[in-house]
Amino acid sequence: MRKFTKPTWLAIGWLSLMMFFAIFGWALPFKSWNFVYEDDLEVGLFTNGHILGTDSNGYDLFASIVAGTRMSIFIAIAAVGLGGLIGSVLGITAAYVRGKVDTVMVTIFNVGLSVPNLVLALALVSVLATNVDINQAVPTWRRVMVLIMSLTIVLIPILGRIARGATLSWTGREFVTAARSMGMRDSKIITKHIVPNVLPALIAVAFLAVGVVIIVEASLSILGVGIPDGASWGGMIARGRNDLEYAPHVLYVPIAFLALSVISTNHLGDVVRSQLDSREAKV
Amino acid sequence: MAGSGTAHMRNSVDSVLTVRDLTVEFKISKDKVVKAVSGLSFDVVKGETLAVVGESGCGKTTLARAILQLPPPNSGEVIFNGTDLTSLPKENLRSARTSMQMIFQDPISSLDPRMTVQQLIDEPLEIWGRGTREERNERINTLLNNVGLEPELVLNRRSYEFSGGQCQRISIARALALDPRMLICDEPVSALDVSIQAQILNLLQDMKDQFGLTMVFISHDLAVVKAVSDRVMVMYLGKICEIATPEALYSKPAHHYTKALLDSVPIADPTRQKITELLQGEPPSPMNPPTGCRFRTRCHAATARCAEQEPQLREVSPGQFVACHHPIV
Amino acid sequence: MSSLLSIKNLGVNFDTPRGSLEAVRGVDIEIPAGTSVGVVGESGSGKTVMCRAAMGLLQGSNVQRTGTVVFDGNELTAMTKEQVRDLFGSGMAMIFQDPMTALNPVRRIGSQISEGLRVRLGMNKKDAMVRSKELLELVRIPNPTAVLKSFPYQLSGGMRQRVMIAIAIACNPKLLFADEPTTALDVTVQAQILQLLRELREDLKMSMVLVTHDLGVVAGNTDYVAVMYAGEVVEYAPTTKLFADMRMPYTEALLESIPKIDHKSGTRLSVIAGRLPNPTDRGVGCGFAPRCKYAQEKCHTQHPELQKDPDGHLYRCWFPIGKAL
Repeated sequence: MRKFTKPTWLAIGWLSLMMFFAIFGWALPFKSWNFVYEDDLEVGLFTNGHILGTDSNGYDLFASIVAGTRMSIFIAIAAVGLGGLIGSVLGITAAYVRGKVDTVMVTIFNVGLSVPNLVLALALVSVLATNVDINQAVPTWRRVMVLIMSLTIVLIPILGRIARGATLSWTGREFVTAARSMGMRDSKIITKHIVPNVLPALIAVAFLAVGVVIIVEASLSILGVGIPDGASWGGMIARGRNDLEYAPHVLYVPIAFLALSVISTNHLGDVVRSQLDSREAKV
Repeated sequence: MAGSGTAHMRNSVDSVLTVRDLTVEFKISKDKVVKAVSGLSFDVVKGETLAVVGESGCGKTTLARAILQLPPPNSGEVIFNGTDLTSLPKENLRSARTSMQMIFQDPISSLDPRMTVQQLIDEPLEIWGRGTREERNERINTLLNNVGLEPELVLNRRSYEFSGGQCQRISIARALALDPRMLICDEPVSALDVSIQAQILNLLQDMKDQFGLTMVFISHDLAVVKAVSDRVMVMYLGKICEIATPEALYSKPAHHYTKALLDSVPIADPTRQKITELLQGEPPSPMNPPTGCRFRTRCHAATARCAEQEPQLREVSPGQFVACHHPIV
Repeated sequence: MSSLLSIKNLGVNFDTPRGSLEAVRGVDIEIPAGTSVGVVGESGSGKTVMCRAAMGLLQGSNVQRTGTVVFDGNELTAMTKEQVRDLFGSGMAMIFQDPMTALNPVRRIGSQISEGLRVRLGMNKKDAMVRSKELLELVRIPNPTAVLKSFPYQLSGGMRQRVMIAIAIACNPKLLFADEPTTALDVTVQAQILQLLRELREDLKMSMVLVTHDLGVVAGNTDYVAVMYAGEVVEYAPTTKLFADMRMPYTEALLESIPKIDHKSGTRLSVIAGRLPNPTDRGVGCGFAPRCKYAQEKCHTQHPELQKDPDGHLYRCWFPIGKAL
């Protein structure tokens, strides 16, 4: 734990808090997030026991935030995790094997990168997670699955390219030739030598990706194709759109949480990357 | 000058490595092919150190990698310990390789920066299951002591904590872990400071004597090569110019390129500066090597014959072979 | 003989996360006009840092430079950066070890050479190009017209080095700093470049500071030699005198340990035991004492001052070797 600066500790603290909400939020002594406090509609911060106030539906904002954290973080980690895993497997293999495999993979990556993520998500959700009769709701888990799937598809080429680039630079090093000349199998070389050296670069980018995914998920919710029952930060923003004039805190609260979370992940991603760079400089 | 010709081959029963007609070419685009090594043949006898000398672009590093089949050459034979490595199936090649280890030029990048010295040297032992954990640890300690490093001080540290010279020692320890018969050293001291070079060269010599190794020593530095070799092979643009003992080569070079190389080496004595005619120009591109003798474009003794006919290696004095139509007498 | 470049008590300190790094300390060198001075040393000797510091090229808030540098009557250490920069080109110039990184990879050669001419000598584009071609001919580049239009990556290492020399001599400098100019080149190309530098020095009446680790290069190309170790100048003498009658055990050990072309093959090389000193921890006493075979008690405890023989031979040793005077 070398000399972390104050902002880094703040970022770590914030994200730890978010993780706590995500994992233990259901145990907190709140009523369900969509419990209607009929007497407290649109009250401001710190009124009547509502730390962050309520919105026009009477939902307690703090409870909503906590509930939403779970969804947003879960989707973000799942998408980045899956996308990172598949992407790095493809990217590392392509860069290690080279030749036709590499060319094909790069083309696939490029095609994937050219598809705008929001459009893809919209398309997938409307086809796979919407009933013909739009008034009939779709089970939340199905929506969530499709969302994660579409975000994963978008992330695979991004993380795959990073993995491929890092692998190309590491495979050129002489210790890989040395390992081959020792009689090490290629699969073992990849797992023991390439992956541990490529991982730091991937982790740094993964942090940044988490931030991006949180925002994308929120955007989708605003567009109406997010989690149907609105238990996410994006859903809160979508619901609070109309409250901007009279009860702006309804919007500011989720936006603030969104922004702080994305800033934190970006910052930590930078910190990881710079720690990695200074290590590389010594080599 | 040719790489063709086998007059210099000794066909000895003691031969550890015999390379015949080795060709390595890289295809850059549809019609551009880099002819890195063209039809090279040579042999190395047990206990011998063969030095391969040449400047950049001559193909010596490509040659080293091709011997190890990393990647395999386009054509030719590499007979090591009696088996032709080029025709071995993958699994057999894996185990055959362990008898032949390589030391690389860049000491730091030849070690995985994430691994400790213990893990680095244990790796080859563990892959081939050479003993229990205790036995392996003992072997690691022995190896480190052999190369002049104190095990307690280095075992838990990583490559970036060491100097170039120490990293090279670690590489040598690792290379010796599997008891190889042959060591290929690819410019092992070029990246080291002058006062450290001598230490590592002496270490290699000691290891060779202690373990009865055979060595192929690649370098561009003629002075370094003279100190360590039993036989010197001069390469130019993928072919062999001359192959001889160091005494013969350095005092009476027969090939014009060899002479030019020797004349270019700066002498550390201000009273003995030679005023010789220097080799002019640059080597031609390996994608388009000259016809006949590849050195003829820069050779002041070139004639029409040199352009038409590729010279074959022939003996000009006992043990000295040169590929030239008009060798220096 | 007047000094073209006079360096007195030059010291350079870097602030690093691991502490203060003393790269250069107490360097005194006089470069007489019309001569070539070699600076020999290994990693950590401070030779490159010293040259950059002398030219004022070291930048950064973590760098402290002390001492005085006087070039051609101008006290560089007392001048502003802009004033020093005006001296570049026609006063001092520098060539570096790696031409690939010293040349701009995305600009054509012609444009890189003529830039200096236009900025320094105020030439217009056309005249600058003509002069650029002349300069390329001066450095013996074949086919200069084609080279003018090429990019650095299209040239070989030797050609790039010639281009760098052309840029350096464009404004006819009085003093050329050559920082390991041939280390990255093949030996035959090295010989060509060194010959070129010798001829240019004579034709242009240019002085040279040649930084290298290669004693062979120094032996044939310099009039004076300064040997550096652990950030200090440990010996300074005319080249012939240094090789014939050296005073520093380090110089002797260095000369003995390098493989030589006339060395008898198969014999062991003589070795300097131990490792190069750590620049963050200079310690007391002589920097070379831990590795010196003649070292005595005094060497480990007292830092030797620079001594001077009557004939001007400088050395930093309590018990110098060599012929008694």
